[in-house]
Amino acid sequence: MTAAGMLAGMAPASLDLRLAEPAGFGVGERVLLAALILLSGGVFAWRAMPIARNIWGSKKDSDLRLRPLGDRLWRFFWEVLCQAKVIRQRRLPGLAHAMVYWGFLAFVLVTLNHLAEGFGYDFLGYSGGFGAFYTGFAGVWALLVAVGIAGLFVRRFVVRPAWLGNVSPESGLIALLIFALMVTYLWMLVVKPQSEAATCLWWVHTLLLLSFLPIIPGTKHLHLLLSPLTVFLKRPEFSQLPRLEGDEEFGLVAGKDLTRIISLQAYSCVECGRCTEHCPAATTGKMLNPKEVVLGVKAFLNIHGPGSEQVLLPEDPAAGQRGLSMEAAFACTTCGSCEYQCPVGVQHLPLLIGLRRGAVNTGAWEDRYGTKLFLALERQGNSLGMGSAERDKFIARQGFPIFDGSQEYCLWLGCMGSYDPKGREIVVEFARVMRALGTSFGVLKKESCTGDPARRLGNDLLFGELAEQGLKNFAAAGVKKIVTICPHCVRTIASDWREYGVAPEIEHHSEFMARHAALLESLMAGESEGSIVYHDPCYLGRYREVYDEPRAVVGVAGELVEAERHRERSFCCGAGGGLAFLGEETGDRVSHGRARELMETGAKTIGTACPFCNSMFRDALGEVGGEAPPQLLDIAQLVARRLPADAGETPG
Amino acid sequence: MKIVVAVKQVPEREAVLRVSPDGRGVDESDIAWTMNEPDAYALEEALQLKQRAADAGLGEAEVVVLCAGPERVQSTLREALAKGADRALHVLTPESGEGSLADRGSLDVARLLAEAVKGEQPELVLTGLQSDDLGAGQTGVVMAELLGVPHATLVLQVELAGPGKDGQRIKVRRELEDGWTQFVEMSLPALLTIQSGGNRLRYATLMGIKRARQKEMRALTAAAPSQRVDEVVKVSPPLRVKQTEMLAGSADEVAAKLVERLRFEVKVL
Repeated sequence: MTAAGMLAGMAPASLDLRLAEPAGFGVGERVLLAALILLSGGVFAWRAMPIARNIWGSKKDSDLRLRPLGDRLWRFFWEVLCQAKVIRQRRLPGLAHAMVYWGFLAFVLVTLNHLAEGFGYDFLGYSGGFGAFYTGFAGVWALLVAVGIAGLFVRRFVVRPAWLGNVSPESGLIALLIFALMVTYLWMLVVKPQSEAATCLWWVHTLLLLSFLPIIPGTKHLHLLLSPLTVFLKRPEFSQLPRLEGDEEFGLVAGKDLTRIISLQAYSCVECGRCTEHCPAATTGKMLNPKEVVLGVKAFLNIHGPGSEQVLLPEDPAAGQRGLSMEAAFACTTCGSCEYQCPVGVQHLPLLIGLRRGAVNTGAWEDRYGTKLFLALERQGNSLGMGSAERDKFIARQGFPIFDGSQEYCLWLGCMGSYDPKGREIVVEFARVMRALGTSFGVLKKESCTGDPARRLGNDLLFGELAEQGLKNFAAAGVKKIVTICPHCVRTIASDWREYGVAPEIEHHSEFMARHAALLESLMAGESEGSIVYHDPCYLGRYREVYDEPRAVVGVAGELVEAERHRERSFCCGAGGGLAFLGEETGDRVSHGRARELMETGAKTIGTACPFCNSMFRDALGEVGGEAPPQLLDIAQLVARRLPADAGETPG
Repeated sequence: MKIVVAVKQVPEREAVLRVSPDGRGVDESDIAWTMNEPDAYALEEALQLKQRAADAGLGEAEVVVLCAGPERVQSTLREALAKGADRALHVLTPESGEGSLADRGSLDVARLLAEAVKGEQPELVLTGLQSDDLGAGQTGVVMAELLGVPHATLVLQVELAGPGKDGQRIKVRRELEDGWTQFVEMSLPALLTIQSGGNRLRYATLMGIKRARQKEMRALTAAAPSQRVDEVVKVSPPLRVKQTEMLAGSADEVAAKLVERLRFEVKVL
């Protein structure tokens, strides 16, 4: 073929956008095509096999149940097919990605037909009806994919957001390949069928296609194949920790403890860095980088394979994988921002807490504050290490009735509500609200911690003892309904205790008050509390998806103002995951950053719904609050302050 | 090296204590029990010493935990095994009545424990300097006497000193008054009573508890109680007395008197 002939063939033949089919292929060409397909598939398989072996060879997940299937199918539809999480958290790049993804789906038929053509089959039937329509349809997608991938390329190599970290050169190559695939496809729409140019384009498109496949394994582009599966298979609940079975399971101690789900998730990571971007530890200078933890597991599997005896968190961090270290694992506040927004289904919390479980359950973790906390929980039964007589005195002083089965609610105080001065104020004012609403309640004579800090720090022995004790106490008192001011207690009793038995129904005081919002509204006296910026606690928001109820309560007391980051994007106060008890932070304090964000709204009051957040901000405002810091009140206090003076006082 | 740690099970610090109907003891029916705190430190010291001996190339030391009491004390022995003790000895006494712990004086309990220790021939016996419930501080020193070994009291730390002509020696740090400490070198075998706070206690772990199930816990029968040399006459809760004393004199004199009282009587300055 001459160069002139080729150029002539590449000129637009007509405007009806028929996909230019090459003239038939000879036997030689067919053999070459078959050989190339085999080569491409072979290299792909050769590179993918070790990964498949690492995933399949990992420990079986004993707690994995596919049912209920409906939820899984819905998640697959929403998160994979609709790309909801991808788009929601990063609008523009997310849309660009969705264009590429949907384009790929549209191209499945086209690509299969393209290769079939090489062997003389054209099942789509380019010349008429559906085939003609479909090639045009795919053409539109080809345009969108080309624009999308070009946008992603520019973002990755020109804009370079910090969260992407080191961008890999092969992702540039992939982008170019995709772009070239789309261009060749579009080009085929405008050249003359049966021409030499059509044949030439056909071969270029084929070669691009066949070189794309072997690049996928071993790079983050593996998410193309794995993440749909990962999203479908992930553990159904948020921060769901598997039960430790038998005498040899202590959490993630060595390579052999990594399960198939964990391995699958590690290989699915697309390195987008959403987890790190919103991580309160990573963004305040701590050792933890959730993305590096996931990639650390992947690197560990690549080096040691599945089932290895190699310890995951060695004593000397230099001996371990980058990203995996004791210090990193114990810097997590378990705020769950990473897991919540991961678009490929990685569940960071079971991984990070799993590493902690491995370290704590075997005694490998030695930490002065951690040990003090555990001993306080062992001996005093509360996280603050106070004598229970202090709680007895408090409830006697407040005239709280002891729960005897005649009251509707058991008011659970929790460690903060029992012993912390500010926590007590919140409980007292919430009790006032309950009395004003005419709801009967009683408190347990004895309470011990729900085990939340022990659970999040990975101390299963202690958590189990506290959970069993707690279940026994509720059963003995005949409690049916519990209400509490602490989202950590709610989460732990409602979800984590299930491993040990059935707890009574529990709700957070925001849910309780929101249900009575109309009545509360009618009781309000005095002036509005003015502008109130509400801070979503992690354990109420992302963990329980309660966003509207506390806002309704704030609306009763004053005027709601939103911080820049709110609802599911809310930023941690720094207290969760047992970190409130682990002493001084390195780097900046998480609470200072969040307190500044809340102050920037200019609201007169910061409204909290968790005694731990409240305590963190109380300290933070002392440091960064300036001359006239906003007042800091729990939502129950906000409501209680507007009750008439005589409402809800202790009877008698 | 073999180390025996004698521990006692005492009511939890939070336990609400009631005087028993006969007025000579405590009603044990509704009490949660725990390991006596100084004994927990004795166990911790033994476990750390075991590690230090291994690090110094002195071979694998064995830590045997010993407790006298009814069935319930097995939970405390299990806790000790879970924290790292290798074996447990349980001198079984009746729950109540004749031969029970309440029926025996310090001397008699020390005899029970010393008898069990003799069977083990350890190089070192550790125990808490006193119990959180009775606080007599007798058991350890009487045991040393019965065993015929030297003892040191109020020990905060034990170090392995170089071997002397009479074998392996230890150097102990004892607590004296007013923040002073004393170092004493001793030959083995010896008995030490351990003061709280010399170490950081370790937390119990899931692995420890699971491993503890496989560890040996041997029951020993207790000898019949001997004639008591002391007698409990009456047990009563401490009387709460509020006393107000007015200090008279000029401001300077009152201040001086106040400081004196706070320093030497209340001991908070």
